[in-house]
Parts: sequence; C-alpha cells; structure tokens
Amino acid sequence: MNPSDVVVTGIGMVTPLGATAAATGEAWRAGRCASRRTLPELAGTPMADAEAAVLPAFDARARLGGRRMLKFMSDAAVLGCLAAREASEGAALKQRFRPERVGLFAGTGLASSRFEDLAPTLRESIDETGQFSWRLAGERGLPATNPLLAFKLLANMPPCLVSILECAKGANLILTPWEGQTGAAIEQAWRAVAGGEVDAALAGAADYPAYPATVFHLRDRQALRDGEYAAPGAAYVVLERAESAARDGHRVHARLAAVEVAATDGPMHDPLAEQMGRTFAAAPAILLALACQEPRGTLCLCGVDRHEFRAEVKEPR
Amino acid sequence: MRRVAITGFGVVSPVGVGRAAFWDALRRGQSGIARITRFDCTTFAAHLAGEVKAMPALPERVAAVAAEDPKVGFAFAACTEALADAGVERLDADTLLHLGATLEILDPVKLIHNGRPDLRATILAYFRGEISGSQLPLDTATALVCEAFGRPRQALTNCSACAVGAQAIGHGFRSVRAGRFEAAICGGSDSLVNAHGIGGLQLLGALTTDNERGAHACRPFDAARRGTVLGEGAAVVVLEPLEKARAEGKRLLAEVCGYGSSMDAHSLSAPDPDGDGAARAMRAALDDAGLRPGQIAHINTHGTGTWLNDEVEAKAIRRVFDGAWERIPVSSTKSMTGHMIAAAGAVEVGACLLALLQGVMPPNPCLDKVAPRCELNHVTGQAAPFEGEYALTNSFAFGGQNATLVLRKADD
Repeated sequence: MNPSDVVVTGIGMVTPLGATAAATGEAWRAGRCASRRTLPELAGTPMADAEAAVLPAFDARARLGGRRMLKFMSDAAVLGCLAAREASEGAALKQRFRPERVGLFAGTGLASSRFEDLAPTLRESIDETGQFSWRLAGERGLPATNPLLAFKLLANMPPCLVSILECAKGANLILTPWEGQTGAAIEQAWRAVAGGEVDAALAGAADYPAYPATVFHLRDRQALRDGEYAAPGAAYVVLERAESAARDGHRVHARLAAVEVAATDGPMHDPLAEQMGRTFAAAPAILLALACQEPRGTLCLCGVDRHEFRAEVKEPR
Repeated sequence: MRRVAITGFGVVSPVGVGRAAFWDALRRGQSGIARITRFDCTTFAAHLAGEVKAMPALPERVAAVAAEDPKVGFAFAACTEALADAGVERLDADTLLHLGATLEILDPVKLIHNGRPDLRATILAYFRGEISGSQLPLDTATALVCEAFGRPRQALTNCSACAVGAQAIGHGFRSVRAGRFEAAICGGSDSLVNAHGIGGLQLLGALTTDNERGAHACRPFDAARRGTVLGEGAAVVVLEPLEKARAEGKRLLAEVCGYGSSMDAHSLSAPDPDGDGAARAMRAALDDAGLRPGQIAHINTHGTGTWLNDEVEAKAIRRVFDGAWERIPVSSTKSMTGHMIAAAGAVEVGACLLALLQGVMPPNPCLDKVAPRCELNHVTGQAAPFEGEYALTNSFAFGGQNATLVLRKADD
C-alpha cells in the first residue's frame, strides 16, 4: 500500500481557542490568543507569576451522552473523549467500519489531578504529631479515598475511555508523557493504516497540564519556559485509506503524506505556544488537526523529550 | 520482511535479579511472594507482594532516583543486563528504545505541612531545599538509559498498564522486522508495592486478602483464588535482525515471529466476559506469525489470579485453540512473581525464553484444584520438559488493552 494514500476524514479538537475543531481553527487562523489566568494556589511562591490557559465552556455530558462515564474521567480524559467523539462523528467511524478494524494510537500527558482529589486521603492519614502515617493511610485514608481515583491517575485511561466510547477495538499503542511520544503514536497510526493492519485509526492525545502542581513541576524542570503558559487541550483525527473514503463518498479533509519522529539536539519548538499555550502531549495532535483544515504543509514540532515530530499534510487528491 | 531475534535479556524480579537467578527460581517453582516490607501494611487488607529483595548495583545518579522510585532502578538494571547480554554498547540512530511503566510515584510525606495537606507549603519547602523534586514522570527510566547508553533515534515510553511490556516488545519487533531500526531495546518496569499501588488496587478489589497463604497466595486458575498479588521489577529484551545477529556470531535466545494487539472497548476494570478482545489479540499474533493455532506448543498466560480475568482468558484460549488446547501446556508464572504490571509482559517473554531455550516449562505451583471454567492443560507442581517450537504469551491490561506475542525456538 502507498503511505501517501492515508487520508484524514475526521477532526476533533478542544483547546483554549475553541471547544470544537471549527471554533479552534477559526480562532487560530484569525490570530486570536487564549485567555489565561494566574493560579491562586501558587501565590506567595517563586512561581506566583505562572499562568495557565482557560478553556471555553462546553457541555461534556450532552456531547458524550450521559454522566455515567464522566465519573471515571479525569479532566484530560473528558477533553480526549470530546475530541475523539467529534472526529469519530465527522468520519462516521461507527457507521463505516467494523470496530475490530479500528485502531487507537494515542499520547497522554503527565499524571495530573486536582490536589483536592488527593486531599481527603492525606487528611485522614495524618497522625497526632502532624506527620503522614502509613498505618493511618490504611486504616482511615483508604476508606476516605474515592475508589475511582485510580481511573483518573492511570495514564492509559483517557485513550481507553475513547476506545469504549468510540468502539475502537483494533490495534493500539499508548505513549506518554511528552510531545514526541504523541508524535510517535500518530506515526504508528499512519503506518498501521497504510499497511492494512487496521482500516481506520483514531490518532491523537489529550493533556491537562494546567493544575497548579503540574505547572510547578513543568516550570521546575524548565519544560515550561519563562513567558510560556500551560494549556489543557486535546485533538484526535481519523485516518483511513483514500480508497475507503472514495468508496463511501466520504469527505476527505487532507492527505497525510508522511509522518516521522526522531530524536534531535535542537531546541524545544512548539508553533502553538504563543497563541494557545503549551499543551505538551496534545500539541502534535492539535497541530496536525489544524493543518488538516488549513493551511496545509509540513509541520514541525520539538517537545520536552527532544523528539522532532514532522508531518506532511497535503490537499486531498 | 526480516526475521527478528532476541539477542539479549535482562530481568529484575521478585524471584531473582539477573537472568540466571530468575530462570533458576522459575524452573524450581519458587515463589517470590511474601509479606510486604516496603512500608507498614498492617492496616491494609492486602499484606503480600512480590518485592525485589535487593536493588541491583546502579550508577550513583540512577541510584538516587531509584531511592525515590524503585521502578527506575529496576528498568536501568534490566537494560544494562540485556545490552551486555547482546553485546550492544551504545544506542544510536539505528536504534529504538521502548520502555514503559504504569503510575507516577507520589510521596505523600512531602505534601503534609503543619499537620495538613498543603500544596503551597510543599512548593515553598522545595525552594528552601527541604524536600527533593516534585514529580518523576513515567519517562524517567527512558531518559536515564539514554543518558547512560546514548540517544537512539526514538526513545519511547509506553503506559499501557499491564500490557506495557508486551506492547513495547511487539512494537519493537514490528519496527525491526520492517527494517526501520537495526536494534530495538524494549521492555517494562514497575513497582506498585507502595501505599498508592496496594491501596488503589485494594480499593478496586483486585488484590487477594488471603494473607495467610503467604508465598502461595497468587493462584491463577485455582478454585481457591481470591485476587492477584502485586509484584515489582523489570525485564528488557534486545531485538535484532536475525540474519545480521547470526552473521555477527551472536547467540540467539529466541525469535519473535508474531504480535497482535486489540482493545476490549468494554469496561475500564473488567474484561469483556466473552473474551473477545483477548481472542482477537491471540488470533492477530498467530496470523502475524503465519501460524495455525495447533502449531503453538506452549502458552504463558496473563493469569493474574483474579476471579473474572482467569475465567475469561481460559475461555478465550479454548476458543482460539479449539481442538488443540488440551494438548498445549500452559504456564502461569505470576503465581511466583506476582503481577508485575508494566513489567509483566516482558518478564513473561523471559519465561517463554526459558521454555524454548532450556526445554523447561515453569509450573504454576499454586494450582491445587482447577476452578470451573478455567480448564486448560496447566503445568502444575513441578516444571515440565518441553520440546516444542513455538510459544505464545498473553498480556491483558486494565482499560481493555490486549497484547499477545509469539516466540519461536532459535534454530541455531
């Protein structure tokens, strides 16, 4: 099969620029920048000036069809599921492909959660001297813990929720936690579609690096440089071969002619950073999703893990 | 497409550190499961784990990180052994590194200040130098291996829970087979033997609380199984083009000849009760290897000792190997190592190597009475001799990811 015949037929995005692919793309092309805020939890620390992007309003319950699954979802998982749902619907994935032939190739970000999620466990585990006690953690901390917390902390859960909601049962690969890893997952999706391992693939990522504890970590390790700000975001695309899109008369957004990821000694470079902030693991997926709208061309991004993600996005034939 | 050989294997496990010790223990059916020593587990319901008894010797910088996050040290030690075993000195632009782990470590002690959880105070304490770093991402081991051995063209970190090891090896196998890389160093490491891991899995009802069974508490497919026991450690393989390795005079430990992955798309915590996803991963791996089910001579199961997983896996194996399953001996080595989560798949590739290379199938020493609906041709009691050509190993993850690998006996 010819790798240059891999096409994009579905695009989904939730970013600080917009809660859908169309809204994000429009804001991006208009040159608008994300709203951002300082983090009150960091006030009084040397990182008091740190900022994070703010997401636009969206109704996850309405878009994902009920709240039962939302109980299991971290904030990153919600974004990922929303983006994947939009891409899946755009490609009519469930209607056009057998679930067993739909792959899932995804990146996920750093383990991150609201500090408040952990606080009940910690509070119940403090002994009379004010110190953390393993004994009390077992006795009182665990019973105070939300049993669903594990589902929010395990890194593979956001993509696994996507697989459940979008009925993707085929080949899969989930990598973490930086940009290059998502790039490699997209590369693998492209190869799996081109090589016929799957008939279609959801490829993308979600990341929520905007919690105070995460921002602290990112600044501390200089993953987030002076003047940069963390941003939650997610994007998924649906890849398939041109022949299946033509067979079904389905709209093709773009052709994905090449994807490559390789280690580099070059500096970090994120073309999205100025307008929407650093979305880390989600960035290659967002960049690709934007380029599948326009303008197309060669994308290049180098992330915290010093891997360069390059993709060549062309007009449909 | 090229054939792909395993030319190096390194392991850190509850039953032994290093390939020789690991194989010796598995062959003897020796369990590494015992009461947890890593922290005071008295008030936890689960008291057992497969702990690595002593951290292998590590470079100073790695040892410092491993003191906070043992899985980083395990991964580094397993990589070091595997690379030495394969005679690979440096990673370069023709190399893929693909490791993985499950869960970032969080030290709760650092988060308590003045008798309460306080993020701002934690940050200030860090800036005063009173506590060390804030967060150890899952790619920490990957980064340290690159620092020590050189930068490969791709250094990847997999987070597919219990399928990490198998998925990393499967991806490496495909990449070398397709000619994209001349070597792939792949595996997984984990240590959830801490309050988060034990506590979290206890809350989900996955761990046995049958503490009095001690070393024999992890009982895959047994009628008296009550849940899994966590293990810890790492395993790493070096994959190279078979003909090239042979031409260089390298010892071939085994050939990887098939890989399949699938997703259940059913539930985050429970497998598809029909075993559909598991069966599809096995079939995909057999197809990839160009084999019929009857050509498989040995299976190392995922076999966690949890009620539903074992039943579903047994059902899936019987379905895929319809007409042949009664003839295929099955080992379940988590009975000895405990469930090493992200490391499990790579460790169980090591157990298949043992079977293929030494002609010995490890037993499931905890299987006294096969549970209803868990009927397979289990190797129980003692190790059994083995003369077959192909072995298959399963890994099924929390979240519904499934990965299966097929190995072939090296023919040199």
